[in-house]
Formats: sequence, structure tokens, C-alpha cells
Amino acid sequence: MILFIGQVICGCVSLQIDKINDGADIPPPPAEFKAGKTSLQEVLNSYGAPSEIVNMEGHFALHYKRTMDRAGHISIGVPFADVLKVGPELNTRGTLLRHDTVIFIFTREGLLEDMIYEKGTSQPLWDTFWK
Amino acid sequence: MRRGCLIISILLLLLCGNSCAVIGRGQNFRPFDDKTLEQVQQGKTTASEVTKLFGAPSQIVKLSNGNAYVYERSVDKVTGLWLLIITFGNFDTQYDRIVFFINKDDVVTHYGSSFKTGTASYAMPF
Repeated sequence: MILFIGQVICGCVSLQIDKINDGADIPPPPAEFKAGKTSLQEVLNSYGAPSEIVNMEGHFALHYKRTMDRAGHISIGVPFADVLKVGPELNTRGTLLRHDTVIFIFTREGLLEDMIYEKGTSQPLWDTFWK
Repeated sequence: MRRGCLIISILLLLLCGNSCAVIGRGQNFRPFDDKTLEQVQQGKTTASEVTKLFGAPSQIVKLSNGNAYVYERSVDKVTGLWLLIITFGNFDTQYDRIVFFINKDDVVTHYGSSFKTGTASYAMPF
């Protein structure tokens, strides 16, 4: 009886939790990085090669990013469809993608013009999901 | 008491019989040789020398004053655990990247590198 109930539960209820990390941690730009002063080589020395280089018609940008994905899936079902022709099932799924990003925009000569930083992974998982 | 132990034992046996763990590893292309990068000199090494050393780039980005050659490798590690009704999955992808900025005279003006594939890890999602 226990074995039977166990086997039935296996097919009826399932919970799945996933975590997907893409890329390394992105630190905030150091205080010594200043627009109009910092060079391309200084940024490359500090952050390494970027995830993406974007041509901006006369300017260009280095884009460093990390993506963190957390997902959950709950499935509840009663596998009686073959016997009763009715098989009630409830599925719920949630995914939260968060990004750490820093973008450095340079002049064509390779001088830092602007920078943008956002640490998405610092947002609380549960609260962020329901907002 | 004895019956309780029996039920717990059967449930544990059932749990083991229905559980499964998996680990996986994926690698995108052969890794970089650190010593090769030491041969590159800013203001001297040409674009053709870069391609001789590193092969064809993963991506070429056209810029207003030249091009950027991007080389990328990746390693991903996957951990999975199935316990009766609960499934845990963890996916970690890390990259090795080198970028060369090449001017209109086909000479390397700047380059940067980051080697992170060694930090890819097997883990649980909590």
C-alpha cells in the first residue's frame, strides 16, 4: 500500500527548483574611473575582455554582464485520465531573471565618456518576483 | 514503534529507488594558451599575426577607427538532483575572453583578457 501511494505521489506532485548563472561577478566601477580621464586600456586592465562591444557611430561601448536566473515549477495532478476520462492537473511556474551590468562608453579615441552600473542580483528574490 | 520504523525504512528505500543525480560538463572550443597572449605587443602586433596566434575570431566588431577582434571560450557545469517529487537543477556558465582593438593600419592598439572558465562550479541551487 505504501509503495503504491509512493509511486502514485511521484506522478502527481512534483516540485522543481533551478538556478542558472551566466558569467562572473561584476564589481562596481572603482572611484578612480572618471569620465574624460580614464582610458580604454585602464578599463580593460581592470575588467578584462567585455561580454559585448557595441559600435555607436563615432563612439563605442564595452558591455560587461552577468545573468542570474532562478526558476521554480510546481505540478499537481491526479493521473486518472485513462480510467475516469478526467485528469485534473495544476501547474504553476515562475522565473526571475536578474542582470548585473556595467557599460563603459568611449570616444573614438578611447577616452571614457560615460559609465552605467546596475547590480540586479542585489534585489531580493522573493519580493522582486511579486512586484 | 516497530511499525513506524518499518514505514520509514520503506519510504527511505522508495526515496533511494526514485532518486537520481547527474553532473554534466560542456566546453565550447579548445581553451586559450596563456603564453600565446604574451607574444602580443601593443603598437607592434598586426591583425594577421593575431589570427595566426589565435585563429579565426569568434566575432569581429567594426568600429569607427578600426575593428575589434573578440575571442570567446566557455565552460558550463550542470548539477541535477531528483528526490522523489523534488528536482534541483544548477547551471553555471563561465567564459574566457580576449579582445583586440585594431586600428586602420591593422595594428593592435589595445587588448584585454579575462579567464573565468576555471571558476565554473558544480553546486545546488540554494
